[in-house]
Amino acid sequence: MTAETDPVQLLTPEGQRVAHPDYDIDLSPGEMRDLYRRMVMLRRLDVEATALQRQGELGIWASCLGQEAAQVGSAAALRPSDFAFPTYRDHGVALTRGVQPLQILELYRGLTNGGWDPLEKRCGLYTIVIGNQVLHGVGYAMGQSLDGTDDATITYFGDGATAQGDVNEGFVFASVFTAPVVFFCQNNQWAISQPRERQSAVPIHQRATGFGFPGAFVDGNDVLAVMAVTRSALERARSGNGATLIEAYTYRMGAHTTSDDPTRYRMGDEVERWRLRDPIERLKVYLAREGIADRTYFDTIDREADDMAVTLREGVRRLPVPEAVSIFDHVYAEEHSLLHAQRAEFEEYHAGFLDQGVR
Amino acid sequence: MSSEIFRLPDVGEGLTEAEILRWWVQPGDQVSVNQTICEIETAKAAVELPCPFAGTIDAIHVEVGQIVAVGAPIITIAVQTSEPVLVGYGVKGASASQPTRRARVTDGSAAITGARTRIKPVVRKLARDNGLDVSQLTGSGPHGEVTRADVLAALGTEPALPSVSPDEPGDRIPVRGVHRAMAEAMVQSKFTAPHVTEWVDVDMSRAMQIVQRLRENPAHAALRITPLALVAMGWIRAAQRFPRINSTWVDTTDGADIIVHRSVHLGLAADTPRGLLVPVVKNAGGMTIVELARMIQQVIDVAREGRSSPTDLTGGTITLTNVGVFGVDGGTPILTPGQSAILAMGRILDRPWVVNGEIAVRPILQLTLSFDHRVIDGALGSRALASVAEFLSDPAMELLFDPTV
Amino acid sequence: MTTITMARAVNEGLRVAMDADSKVVLFGQDIGRLGGVFRVTDGLQKDFGEHRVMDAPLAESGIVGTAIGLAMRGYRPVIEIQFEAFVYPAFDQIVSQVAKMHRRSAGTVRLPMVIRMPYGGGIGAVEHHSESPEAYFVHTAGLRVLTPSDPQSAYLTIQQAIACEDPVIFLEPKRRYWDKGEVDLDSAAGSAGLLSPWRARIMRPGTDVTVIAYGPMVRTCLEAAEAADGLELEVIDLQSLSPLDLATVVESVERTGRAVIVHEASRTVGLGAEIAAEIAERCFYSLEAPVQRVTGYDVPYPASRLEEDFLPDLDRVLTAVDRVMEG
Repeated sequence: MTAETDPVQLLTPEGQRVAHPDYDIDLSPGEMRDLYRRMVMLRRLDVEATALQRQGELGIWASCLGQEAAQVGSAAALRPSDFAFPTYRDHGVALTRGVQPLQILELYRGLTNGGWDPLEKRCGLYTIVIGNQVLHGVGYAMGQSLDGTDDATITYFGDGATAQGDVNEGFVFASVFTAPVVFFCQNNQWAISQPRERQSAVPIHQRATGFGFPGAFVDGNDVLAVMAVTRSALERARSGNGATLIEAYTYRMGAHTTSDDPTRYRMGDEVERWRLRDPIERLKVYLAREGIADRTYFDTIDREADDMAVTLREGVRRLPVPEAVSIFDHVYAEEHSLLHAQRAEFEEYHAGFLDQGVR
Repeated sequence: MSSEIFRLPDVGEGLTEAEILRWWVQPGDQVSVNQTICEIETAKAAVELPCPFAGTIDAIHVEVGQIVAVGAPIITIAVQTSEPVLVGYGVKGASASQPTRRARVTDGSAAITGARTRIKPVVRKLARDNGLDVSQLTGSGPHGEVTRADVLAALGTEPALPSVSPDEPGDRIPVRGVHRAMAEAMVQSKFTAPHVTEWVDVDMSRAMQIVQRLRENPAHAALRITPLALVAMGWIRAAQRFPRINSTWVDTTDGADIIVHRSVHLGLAADTPRGLLVPVVKNAGGMTIVELARMIQQVIDVAREGRSSPTDLTGGTITLTNVGVFGVDGGTPILTPGQSAILAMGRILDRPWVVNGEIAVRPILQLTLSFDHRVIDGALGSRALASVAEFLSDPAMELLFDPTV
Repeated sequence: MTTITMARAVNEGLRVAMDADSKVVLFGQDIGRLGGVFRVTDGLQKDFGEHRVMDAPLAESGIVGTAIGLAMRGYRPVIEIQFEAFVYPAFDQIVSQVAKMHRRSAGTVRLPMVIRMPYGGGIGAVEHHSESPEAYFVHTAGLRVLTPSDPQSAYLTIQQAIACEDPVIFLEPKRRYWDKGEVDLDSAAGSAGLLSPWRARIMRPGTDVTVIAYGPMVRTCLEAAEAADGLELEVIDLQSLSPLDLATVVESVERTGRAVIVHEASRTVGLGAEIAAEIAERCFYSLEAPVQRVTGYDVPYPASRLEEDFLPDLDRVLTAVDRVMEG
């Protein structure tokens, strides 16, 4: 780690509760267990999806392994009426906003480029072009402000994205318009094969000052700290004080996607070092030590995760394949005649084969 | 119990194959879902494959070190329950077998129709160039298309004779199509260019010997080698030697120009079922007798079959007409419009001929040359005609001394 | 002759160019240590050093814009855009600057840069990884656009693109990256008798129909030609999209009288439209039937499970051939 300010931490990697001068959190045992459960289910989804890809059931999978606390902790801080703009790796955010696991897998199975109604879930569709969604988040927040609500928006992106023009423009617009937005950067150290240093010569959270809003640096593997810092930033936004940049310091334990081979550019011992800072493990230790959860509880959650995995596996295979002609659907809200004619031509062409139904 | 085949998936966006690095299981082993069964190497990475099924390993189909295509079976597992396995996506690998298409019912596709007569551009041009109004025609092609055959038939057809009123004697024939085009051309030519006609008789004995030897050569058995080809060659050489022969008079705003053409394009007057057509052998200069004979045969055959394209029928710079086939010796041929000279050849007839002071019987050909006196004066015309005669009287010797003009 | 993949052929071509001219530098995301997500730049950073094979921050506009500056300084940048649909942030720099600089400077500034990107679909990928944006670039004066279709042409055209004094958009058909083919690694770009990239090449001579394609569709059309019973299809690989080698196309269509153009990009204002217009203008009197286009539909590229319904395939090509034979 470079010479940076210490990240905000409320739960050490060893599962020890610590205090911080600026941030604190007070959660009920039930709320704590809920955070634990969410992270376990998320990880199980992630592991299962990776296996499914290796078995030919998914075209690709972007793993969030190791980033469970950053995603669940921040998303759990949101109000239902807030809005979240995820990237394509933020499965913990999507799940916390109510997106069903199969809806995420549908995208990665190549059946859709979306998967859910973003306005219903109050969670944007996955954005694959790096950084595009940051501007969308700022704009949405500007709308919330214009409407006079005290709702806020959180927009997610990685360390790599901070180099993109769109993200920097997002910072400018948010500050100039005092938009009620939280910029949540998961610095997982790697943008495919590029280390964070290639994207910024200064620590990411320090860049906020240059744009005119505060930056917070938090231990991204500490779900309590993440939640506390996010709540605070959301509060800032709601009260008309504008944006905050949160840098959640975490690690991409897996590959960039299932197409990537991280052994080509990073050392195995780095991964092992980060395994010692596992987000789920530290919370488990804390819950056990504080008597908030016991062996029976942990086993129940594990079983629930296994059951979910089986349901997921069966469900994925049964996901219906859209009809070919559906490629013409929803190109426009008001379809025009040229497209209509092309659709008809398509259907006529496909009806002209002797062997119907074979693809 | 059923057997499930696990096929090699595409593990990295468009990969087509992988090498098996190692197997972690063997036949007979119990496996659970997601248990690592093997390690493969792709173009991008080394990857572990987790088992999609729970059951017993039936058979392993590929060995360590083997390169396997995506979609090929790698392992069969006997499972409790049957589940469909979906192969990962990606590039459809090169099929080992011959590519084939999926059968279709006949495409009754809607034809593009418009307000105008349905006709191909090239056929429309043919009609237009021959003064034919296509809207008057019924098409015999698909969707009522007016075809080339329809146009050519219209050009050659004698229309039905209209009823003749009782007090008018004889038949009334409307002049249309090729006939009309020909008539207009003759008028334009005859009454614009001052025609001068000269003639000469040629002893064709040596020429006929050459024709005979060419005919006997099995290499050219397919060709119709006739004296016309030799006459054509002589005429082409004359046009090259005397470039004014190979030219065009052009009226301009301040007088006139004579365009001397660089290449000789020989028109051949041909009697076809549609009437008189003059198809052109392009770039006839420098051809060997065999090439020339072949091209002449080709353009005339095409013209007789009605398949000449507009370019086939235009662009000539000189013309050769064979009146001998009709049993006459010569005449006063009319210039093809745009040209300055036309050569007619008559019959080749055995006649009495004086050789070394004695009467002999020789095959004699009369050549008639008409030329435009604006372009070619008498002296030049005569020399040109004489050179054709000289060539034909001893073609081999001419070629020896003057292989290229 | 060696049998190698297209990805490797581009790698070898880059190597030759970098060996020949020390001013050739590579710039892009993940091209150095990783060797590129398709391994096209594999091993080049190790062999030529970090100052000649540079990993860039995650900013396409930044990459193209800074490459312009490098080119003005005398370098010959060969930059990589990781996937074609990530080029759009850089579109402004390409269209406003790369394409116009030479003219704006009255010829004093040259930008001999190559912008490489994988393009086209058929690999089962998520959104933005399967598009065909060539029309945007061909439409922009000041740019040249090249696209190889097999390993041999990839090996030569990348070298010729780098040697070119004008900016070249170099489109690599990603579904063909792993196709193997024979490459003569000793063939020098530009030597007499070898294919010139600015010309189209006739991949398969024929007499009945002229099938015009480029990039990933060339192989599809060759397969269609094999499957065409009783017809001899002449398949042309355009190679150079800007400038188009119309002479080769016209000569062929004048012989066959029938033309079918195939591309993955959507139909409206795709390259097929331009070529069809040129054929209509130059070969009007040789045409036996209207020119046919086989293209992607006018819809956003679909989710990968449906991409085979969007992309032209052997059957669609042969259906167009049927139509053109009908007249």
